[in-house]
Amino acid sequence: MALAAELPWLWGSLLALALATGAAIWGMIPRYSGDGVLIEPPSTNRIESLVLWSLLLSIVLMTIAMGVRWDRVGNGPFVSLFELLMSQIWSLSIFYAVIYWRAPSLRGTSVIVFPALWVLGSWVLILDPVASFYPTTYYNNWKWAHVIFGKIFLGAALFGVGLAGIVLLRQTRFASVFSRMPSSEVLDHIAWRFMMLALIFDSLMLIAGAVWAQDAWGRYWQWDELETSSFLNWLYLGAIIHLRMTYRIPLPIGAWLVIGVFVFAFLTYFGAPYFSASAHKGVV
Amino acid sequence: MHLFSAMASLKVTLVGMLLLAVGSMLTYGGDTGFSVWVLILPMLLLAVNLASAIATNRKINRQPGLLLFHLSLLSLVIVIAVGRLAHLDAQVEIVVGQSFDPSHLVELQQGPWHVGDLNEISFLQGPYGISYEPGVQRGATASQIGLLDEKGQFSEEIIVGDDTPLIFGDYRLYTSFNKGYSVILEWLPNEGGSYTGSVNMPSFPLNDYRQKNEWTPPGSDTTIKFWLKLENEYNKDDYWTLSMANSSGVLVVTVDDMRVELEEGESLQFDDGQLKYNELTMWMGYTIFYDPTLRWLFFISTFGVLGLGWHLWSRADRLLGKNFDNETKRGVN
Ligand code: HEM
Repeated sequence: MALAAELPWLWGSLLALALATGAAIWGMIPRYSGDGVLIEPPSTNRIESLVLWSLLLSIVLMTIAMGVRWDRVGNGPFVSLFELLMSQIWSLSIFYAVIYWRAPSLRGTSVIVFPALWVLGSWVLILDPVASFYPTTYYNNWKWAHVIFGKIFLGAALFGVGLAGIVLLRQTRFASVFSRMPSSEVLDHIAWRFMMLALIFDSLMLIAGAVWAQDAWGRYWQWDELETSSFLNWLYLGAIIHLRMTYRIPLPIGAWLVIGVFVFAFLTYFGAPYFSASAHKGVV
Repeated sequence: MHLFSAMASLKVTLVGMLLLAVGSMLTYGGDTGFSVWVLILPMLLLAVNLASAIATNRKINRQPGLLLFHLSLLSLVIVIAVGRLAHLDAQVEIVVGQSFDPSHLVELQQGPWHVGDLNEISFLQGPYGISYEPGVQRGATASQIGLLDEKGQFSEEIIVGDDTPLIFGDYRLYTSFNKGYSVILEWLPNEGGSYTGSVNMPSFPLNDYRQKNEWTPPGSDTTIKFWLKLENEYNKDDYWTLSMANSSGVLVVTVDDMRVELEEGESLQFDDGQLKYNELTMWMGYTIFYDPTLRWLFFISTFGVLGLGWHLWSRADRLLGKNFDNETKRGVN
């Protein structure tokens, strides 16, 4: 079988992501002087720029991979799991790169966020890059709004995982690794602000999706598998925001609730389509 | 008053959300036999809860963005309910060359408050083409529609299909996967007169090998069986277009043990009359959808999200501004 043209670019992109991941972890490893005192690694800034530049390289290569594939199969990354995952890695990387660049004090989240991206990255590697049938209902322009809002939602949810992950790792023997980061209370606070942002874009995604569904399948909502799951995801987000306002929940529990949003969204997008060949795929 | 403040409790909100989650899991997949009440009851509880909270809780009614968001949630529930009460869903098959007839609706479901007038819908079905990709994957549908003026005269031609519905007021007609061939027949009874009608064959290409139907001519007690023997040259492993231009076939007529093949224009004499096979044509299936609240749903939900955005933005200093910098400065621990 001939090599799909986008594969070398995809591999290059993942390689650059691997470099970013390695550098991020390397940069966080604490270094002690002979008498056991923590010393600030002198190279932190250099390592952080290496992380940022490799992440940017990874994004550029992924952009090329997606462009090459688009050209090869004739449709954008909207249908097959292979292209959906690629597109998701791409947008999550962009979302996170902006935060990494703008919020130096939160760069430690990269040791959680990058491995999470790797879950998508290793999955895409084992999938078949064949072109799939592109349903006509996917030519609808609401698709763009739906997809872009969804990407921002997932980006906010993933960053929440990064923050929550640190709160949790601070409960373990890795606590000292994150000693240079803001306090867990602050991280928790930021994580919940991002949950609000996630709720906004999740809502927008559902609205745009409903308009698209009305155009494409003649009904805005039908409780199909994907719709039910994404509604539950939205409700979960609203419920945990209320839970947190109503009760004083311990930080680690709050952290798990935040991680739950991303996990739920992940299962919705990449799990639900497996359980059904539902109308949501538009292939009837 | 006591009850009122109890109903406004955020604990009720959490219980309501949990019940709604359970309810929507029960209806998972659409047709599960669970009554819609598993959704309606939690929504009612949440609506009462929310209305009480809006009335009594300052945290919600003094923050405009948050208030807008929650008001929009409350109105959404109400408007969705109104939409369900007023809705109409139905299917219809229309033969090319014929006009829409409300009395032909099938699978009709409508809410008790449906006030629309189906006579608003008036059009003439023109020819259509549907492109298929290898492996019988349905591509674009282009269905030609002749719009009619008040006098019922042809006024304008438009093309609908897939995600472009045919819209008359609050009625929206979507081309469905249901479509196929139709034969136009004429029945000339011995005692004089003539009746013309169409017999639709089952959906194509879904029922490619079962293009059969039967018909009892008016005033006759003979049930005539038809089999449309298609002679299309579609290669289903390649790209092809389903359209009249690519279609031909003979009509196999069977009554008891008589079997005759008719070409277009040919006739067959029976004891009580003559059957004439006028023409091979096609029919198009539409899903009719009526919900006058669609626009409202869109605007209300959009405003709600704007409210939430406003709420977040009004607290944005904590996230992006000075306080954020102070709180997150390196070394704060
Ligand atoms: C249906 C019953 C509901 C009631 C009675 C209710 C009530 C409230 C109240 C009183 C507040 C302000 C609390 C405070 O600032 O301490 C609030 C905030 C909020 N509610 Fe609701 N709510 C309901 C449903 C929902 C739903 C379904 C969602 C979303 C899925 C939602 C999302 C939010 C958000 C995002 C906030 C703002 C949180 C913040 O500022 O951090 N609410 N709600």
